[in-house]
Amino acid sequence: MIRVGIPQALLYYQYYPMWQAFFQALGAEVVVSPPTARPTVEAGLARMVAETCLPVKVYGGHVCHLRELGVDCVFVPAIRATEPGLFNCSKFLGLPDLIRATVEDSSPLLEIDIDVGQGRGALQRAIYRLGWPFTWNPLHIRKAALAAWEAHLGFQALMRERKLTPPEAIEGSGGEGHALDSRCLPDTGSLVIAVVGHPYCLYDSYINHNLLGRLRRMGVRVITPEMAPAQGLEMGIRRLARFKYWVYEAEVTGAAGYYLEDPAVDGVIAVVVFGCGPDSTMLDVVQRAARRQEKPYMGLVLDEHTGEAGLVTRLEAFVDMIDRRKSARGSWEAGSMEKRRECA
Amino acid sequence: MRAYLGVDVGSVTTKLVLLDENDQLLERLYLRTLGRPIEVIQEGLAELGRRQPQHLEVVGVGTTGSGRYLAGVLVGADVIKNEITALAVGASQYVPEVQTIIEIGGQDSKIIILRDGVAVDFAMNTVCAAGTGAFLDQQAYRLSLRIEDFGPLALKAKTPVRIAGRCTVFAESDMIHKQQMGHRVEDIIYGLCQALARNYLNNVGQGKDLRPPVVFLGGVAFNQGMVRAIQEALGMPVIVLPYHEVMGAIGAAILAREQMSLNGATTRFRGFEASRAACRASSFECKACPNLCEIVQVRIGRKVMARWGGRCDRWELKEEVPDG
Repeated sequence: MIRVGIPQALLYYQYYPMWQAFFQALGAEVVVSPPTARPTVEAGLARMVAETCLPVKVYGGHVCHLRELGVDCVFVPAIRATEPGLFNCSKFLGLPDLIRATVEDSSPLLEIDIDVGQGRGALQRAIYRLGWPFTWNPLHIRKAALAAWEAHLGFQALMRERKLTPPEAIEGSGGEGHALDSRCLPDTGSLVIAVVGHPYCLYDSYINHNLLGRLRRMGVRVITPEMAPAQGLEMGIRRLARFKYWVYEAEVTGAAGYYLEDPAVDGVIAVVVFGCGPDSTMLDVVQRAARRQEKPYMGLVLDEHTGEAGLVTRLEAFVDMIDRRKSARGSWEAGSMEKRRECA
Repeated sequence: MRAYLGVDVGSVTTKLVLLDENDQLLERLYLRTLGRPIEVIQEGLAELGRRQPQHLEVVGVGTTGSGRYLAGVLVGADVIKNEITALAVGASQYVPEVQTIIEIGGQDSKIIILRDGVAVDFAMNTVCAAGTGAFLDQQAYRLSLRIEDFGPLALKAKTPVRIAGRCTVFAESDMIHKQQMGHRVEDIIYGLCQALARNYLNNVGQGKDLRPPVVFLGGVAFNQGMVRAIQEALGMPVIVLPYHEVMGAIGAAILAREQMSLNGATTRFRGFEASRAACRASSFECKACPNLCEIVQVRIGRKVMARWGGRCDRWELKEEVPDG
């Protein structure tokens, strides 16, 4: 049985159930690297080129770890476009090349080049090429691809309907995922904060210093982009940026646009990593929109810092600000009610 | 007399204040943290204790600043608050209609936007500490100026030179270049103030709706050169309050008063002298998982009062203090 390694980093949070279903349907064993820890980050930092962002460096660390686990190959996809006419960050386009050049001793790479803009035929050929090491029978590959798509749709529906984050949904569906420090506690927090950003920023609790867990411990109900309906995200992009440009724009501009409009959401936090090109343009749009809507908004920039004091201060200040704003508005409304009563 | 104590432990300085029940300032202390927050807090408390008459009774304590948790354990805090909230509360006490707060401290700088006395937006400097007090300090030292003389000298500038303010490493090489070209020191240092003011507004103030009245707080507000540079860059007058350097501590004391009047509890304050008890912080590396977190442990006497620094809850031990 071929053992396929999947790094628990970058697009893992978006597509793991799909990839898992595909390789399992082809009779492979899927091995996921354990959650990011200090040695993972250090291995990645030591090898990757300096200009890449932290999540890409962490990805390199996971590839190193998978080699230690003795997998036969590592699945490293290159994703150019998921819809015609969209652009992706260059680090996603060249991920296999980047890994080959920096992690020279990695297990053999299992690659796929996905560019939906090239048409259906090209996509099918790419999928067949990915399946060839496992079977000579194209029908088996076709069946595996359909199972993979099915798993992907199920995963998305699970997150949306049960308000789960990707790690929770992956764990719930019997995968290898890990839970967050504190579990999702729907409807207990008195404050609702939407946290938007790329899944590899939001759910890698090592990179983000357990941001979601911290918010939940402060009594905040956290909602994330996956919990919003797909049309809502599309609408959010149209509202804020008019048209979609980046492949992973829905989880930033889309989610922000959707949640900024939602009266049940008390505030929006956007999480980005230092040096991200696409995010720097998207966040500017989000910040302007938040100001227009007078909705509490905060951008958080993550980097390799191990000190978490700055992050904690910002989170506490943000939650405090919303709290105080809410109670001030409450007393103002109560005051004007009294006045109205006096007038009457 | 009943009083409230506010302690603000910043990266470079530690501030302590005592307020009476009407939020009037009774005492204030402004000390250098010198990398030894525990000793400095203890010395500050002892000093406050010496200055205060016998009949004074501390009935509430608030701590803030980047060392707020450490200070909270040491002093026995009733409320531990982040510096954004504390500054907003403190400044609105003196200028109730304030709409913009600029705070530049030793290691970080902040902007707070308020409407009707409530913070509605804020920002802190991102990864780098460019343009904060520590850099001014360092440059004053390099030019062998006392930091106190920096401001008055900057005001004497006639033709300030243009200095790159984006990054302090570039700013420094720019300054050296200008100095070797023969520019006068006052023109260079006012040029530096302008660069820092520009950098602050572009970086921290970016995308914020800055409206008057603007209040300038933090240690850097002592520097008249910076005050003038910020006024020029903003194009509006900037108010420097009399106690701007201790505003965080004042805010913390006010928050302590609010908290105590809310629940009517008795304070956890350990007393001016009790805090002199042997307090030790030590650290060790947790080996339970590959993360190898550095755990810090604070002991007062023989008792472990607090432990923090881990990525998980394994070692976490904090007194139950209401925080933000």
